[in-house]
Amino acid sequence: MFTVSIFSGCQDELDINDSGNLVPKTVDLDPSLPSVSLNNALFHAEAFGPADGPLVVVLHGGPGSDYRYLLNCREFASQGYRVVFYDQRGTGLSQRFPKSHYTMQVAYDDLSGIISHYRTDPNQKVFLLGHSWGAMLASAYINQYPTAIDGAILAEPGGLIWKDVKDYITRSRKFKYLGESLNDAVYADQFVTGKTDQHAILDYKFMLLTSKESSEIGNEGSLQEWRGGAVTFDAYLEIGDKQKPDWTTNLNKYTTQVLFIYSANNKAYGLQHAQKVSAPYPSVKLFKTEGAGHDMLSFPTGWSNTYPAMLDYLNSLK
Amino acid sequence: MTLSKKIFLLLILPALFINAAHSQTINWASLGKEQRHIAHAHAGFDYAFVYGVGYSRQLLSPIPILATIDFSTPVGNKVLDDFKTKIGGVADLCEFNNFHLSASVYGIYRRYENPMAVLQNFGSEFKGVFGFYQSKWFVAAEFGFDKAIVTHFEHSDAFKENYPEVKNGWYQPATGGNFSYGVQTGLSFDGVDALFRIGKVVTQDFKSSPTIPFYAEFGTNIKINR
Repeated sequence: MFTVSIFSGCQDELDINDSGNLVPKTVDLDPSLPSVSLNNALFHAEAFGPADGPLVVVLHGGPGSDYRYLLNCREFASQGYRVVFYDQRGTGLSQRFPKSHYTMQVAYDDLSGIISHYRTDPNQKVFLLGHSWGAMLASAYINQYPTAIDGAILAEPGGLIWKDVKDYITRSRKFKYLGESLNDAVYADQFVTGKTDQHAILDYKFMLLTSKESSEIGNEGSLQEWRGGAVTFDAYLEIGDKQKPDWTTNLNKYTTQVLFIYSANNKAYGLQHAQKVSAPYPSVKLFKTEGAGHDMLSFPTGWSNTYPAMLDYLNSLK
Repeated sequence: MTLSKKIFLLLILPALFINAAHSQTINWASLGKEQRHIAHAHAGFDYAFVYGVGYSRQLLSPIPILATIDFSTPVGNKVLDDFKTKIGGVADLCEFNNFHLSASVYGIYRRYENPMAVLQNFGSEFKGVFGFYQSKWFVAAEFGFDKAIVTHFEHSDAFKENYPEVKNGWYQPATGGNFSYGVQTGLSFDGVDALFRIGKVVTQDFKSSPTIPFYAEFGTNIKINR
């Protein structure tokens, strides 16, 4: 305690519970951020391009990441599309909620709310562009509402049934038990713990834990993000483990072609997994992004190799 | 160099050079009063896969008391980017019919580094152990609390690319705390204890667990007569 007293006296200590110290403030605490209020929640959200253009709703991965790493998708705005980004409930810079708050239906309702908020005309076409968990959510939404969406770009969803998701996670998260990566991920557990409602602490720790991505997924570098959502991540992982969801039961009713993207450098994915995961869709165009890994939409090579295929796909359906 | 940095070095350097002690896994029934020096070594999962060494000195006191230092570090490519030092003591508080109740208190300094941040923490650990001890073996239950009292956060350029406004410095209130509970056992022969302890770790609100929610360590004590 002597030591603590000395350190406390030397500098003004900071409060670990305060947003803005270790993690940025969320939209409910920082009114300067772009936001949308719907379904009794405040979302960090913004849109680019003409308001009456075909909607491209971008769904980020995680669960528990945010849309910052997908901002390359703004480029569709220059082609006349209305590109909509939002941080899903409880993650990024969106408002935080208790773990018990999360269900798949809540995620569907939030996506429906976002579409309704930005749609200016009932005839305005709506496309979903989902990456990783975002592609899983897009498929789950299409499975729930097979007539609501006019097209979908799905970039490496882990799986559309839980077993495929677990298998993919296992392949993509290979840690050496005696390696530095494991230390980087877990040793901080004795330094920082947060109670279930201390989102700033939990999110910071989540970002430390997830800062080191497995080399298996082949990325060119580290992703940019604003703020992870630890409780959101836990909640959806628990939902998956308990409910073992199958988001393929109605996909046979979705006859529109989907563009299914997988990357050349993600050793945990590959053509075989892409074919397996995309199989429930009646019409699939598989596209392999060369020179990129799992986050092919975030880094220059992956983006430049994928963008033309995505634009062709959207233009064919708009 | 600022005053706070000077004080920091004055406090930290001795701890680094002293190293420190695997905690309280002792066969009290086999510990003789003449065995004043005990060297420790241990390895296993304790948040990560760690190995460590330590030293205890038995004090001249009415009840057995060991002053202990311990140093441990996780296995990995980078040496000493992560480590934990502990300094404190353990006392065999009472004994009846081969049952012993002991308690330990440690001060902790530990360091963690990953590509995003360097964390330095001062904390404390309290532990109670109750068990059945014979001269050749023992088995005991243990319950502990590890509190991260104050932590210094220093962030890398990689982190600042994501969040340039991050505030480096000392953070309070207590930045973490974990309870642990489990069993420890051991065999004793010729001045040597062969030890094993295993248990579970839960965070201080009892609602979540660390990423590796258990500990399991093998260890040895070598007791040396003065």
